[in-house]
Amino acid sequence: MLNDLQLNSILEDFDIAYWKINLLNKEVSWSEHFDTLVGNPIFSESHFEYFLKEILHQDYRYDFRLYFDKLTEENEAFSIELKLKLNNGKYRWFECRNLKNKENNKETAVLLFVNIHQNKRDQYTIEENFFYYHETAQMTNTGGWYIDTQNKNIYWDNVTKKIIGCPLDYQPPYNEHLRFYAPEEHQEVTSAFDKCEKYGIPFKVELKMRNLYNKDFWVRATGKPVYNEDQDIIGIRGVFQDINDQKINELNLQNSLDLVATQNSRLFNFAHIVSHHLRSHSSNLCLIVELLKDAKTDKDKIELIPNVADISENLDLAINELNEIVNKQTVLGKERRIVSFEKALSGVMASTSSLINRENAKIVAEFHALKEISYIPEYLESILLNLITNAIKYKHPGRKPVIYIQTYLKNETPFLEVSDNGLGIDLDQYGDKMFGMYKTFHENLDSRGIGLFITKNQVETLGGTISVTSTVDVGTTFKIKF
Amino acid sequence: MGQKVELACIIDDDKIYVNLVKKIIEIKKLSNNLLIFKNGMEALDHFKLILENATEDRLPDIIFLDINMPVMDGWEFLNEFIKIKNNFEKKITLYVVSSSIDPRDLERAKSINLVTDYLIKPIELKKFEKIFDRNGNAAA
Repeated sequence: MLNDLQLNSILEDFDIAYWKINLLNKEVSWSEHFDTLVGNPIFSESHFEYFLKEILHQDYRYDFRLYFDKLTEENEAFSIELKLKLNNGKYRWFECRNLKNKENNKETAVLLFVNIHQNKRDQYTIEENFFYYHETAQMTNTGGWYIDTQNKNIYWDNVTKKIIGCPLDYQPPYNEHLRFYAPEEHQEVTSAFDKCEKYGIPFKVELKMRNLYNKDFWVRATGKPVYNEDQDIIGIRGVFQDINDQKINELNLQNSLDLVATQNSRLFNFAHIVSHHLRSHSSNLCLIVELLKDAKTDKDKIELIPNVADISENLDLAINELNEIVNKQTVLGKERRIVSFEKALSGVMASTSSLINRENAKIVAEFHALKEISYIPEYLESILLNLITNAIKYKHPGRKPVIYIQTYLKNETPFLEVSDNGLGIDLDQYGDKMFGMYKTFHENLDSRGIGLFITKNQVETLGGTISVTSTVDVGTTFKIKF
Repeated sequence: MGQKVELACIIDDDKIYVNLVKKIIEIKKLSNNLLIFKNGMEALDHFKLILENATEDRLPDIIFLDINMPVMDGWEFLNEFIKIKNNFEKKITLYVVSSSIDPRDLERAKSINLVTDYLIKPIELKKFEKIFDRNGNAAA
């Protein structure tokens, strides 16, 4: 058996102090180690009272006295965690319990004080960390996951399950996990997971996932390899953060930004074109004024008058054209409606019947693949009108104009094509200018160079694009993607 | 007044402007002869013809080139003209003349060696006289 000295030294090593309680007179004596822990007090009263008043944290005084009385009077065992003030003035956690009384000793009891401060602190830290993790995960919609690549299992935490929209007892299928990603992401996802599993390359990507109800949403995903003791990769662990709202906002913002940028540059060009177009007339006026001032005879002056008349007429025409452009570009008060292509075309053909008849133009329409579209009716008519008159205006001199109009759906996107058998145009030379304002390519008296400019603007205002293919002497095709 | 210009050339689709400039040149007797083309293509055809016939008597001393024209605009004409210009012995002064006040047009014109200056319409009478005068002196 160990003697008291040896026992004391062992207890001390484990940072365990104790009290010896005389059960007969309830007197308490402290072990040496207890003395060193709490300092060497000078007693004016009993150890017990001093302990309660000076050493034990006040929160535990009531309980401790209760337990102590029960121990000393009824020999009832107890165990309590409490805080003691040490000789450095700081409180530390201790576990206090009585030593089991094997021999039914009625004379003395022993109370052990075990330092559990580190444990307690670790426990608090864990609780604290868990709290922060939990709150952060909830607030940021971030879920954790683990893929056990050895045993082929996938584990999702509750937030991940919430993001995916599955019940808490759902077991994700290992072999079909790609099902939880949008099809267009499969390649990237497979590659990221493969690289992580095989070579330990971590990943951090933004991708589209697909929830249990086949709705796609954006997440930010990170994954890192998990190694065993032999440094073999045994799994991948990471988080999914649901960033759908932010991503949608970001994408919308980018779209708006692009739209504003294109509209801005269009306005900028428009302003310069307008200034140029109007300036050419005003500068002619200035020139005439100078000539008038300079003219020596009345005859010279009178000769200049017809020029003034021409200029004012041109100026008037130019202003009307600009007005027309501005009017046709205003979307204000115009709304998308379901428009039938057939109806829009017959309206256009009625208003251009004289031109069509004069040129003996043949118009063939195929609308059966796509009969109608949600569009601003005035725009659709204006687009058809411009493309048809354009085709007739630039007809081939050797043949009657034939215009073929077709609508169709491709990848769910509506298209309109207008083809003619006219002059055609060298796109290498003029391609980038086709849709510019006041750009005319043929010496044609009634070309004004604003039709295609307006058409392009109308198509783009409603989010579409227009493109052109052409062969000189064969014909031209305009293709509108709505 | 310096020496008169023998042959001036205007490439511009604005009929009124061309008429007025013609008048100025007549009244002020700035040039003996005048060539007028209503777009770059017509002018280019003329210069190519001169090249084929190898006679430079219809080659202008001075060219006023507009930018915005149908069929072939001023920029396109410059692109083509640069290619054949060195085949001519005569020194040709070329002005880009436009009502465009777009600084991008001005920059672009100034970046081309062939272009002596960029003139913004309207050109004052005095400026016209100066241009022709300087040209006359320089040629003398």
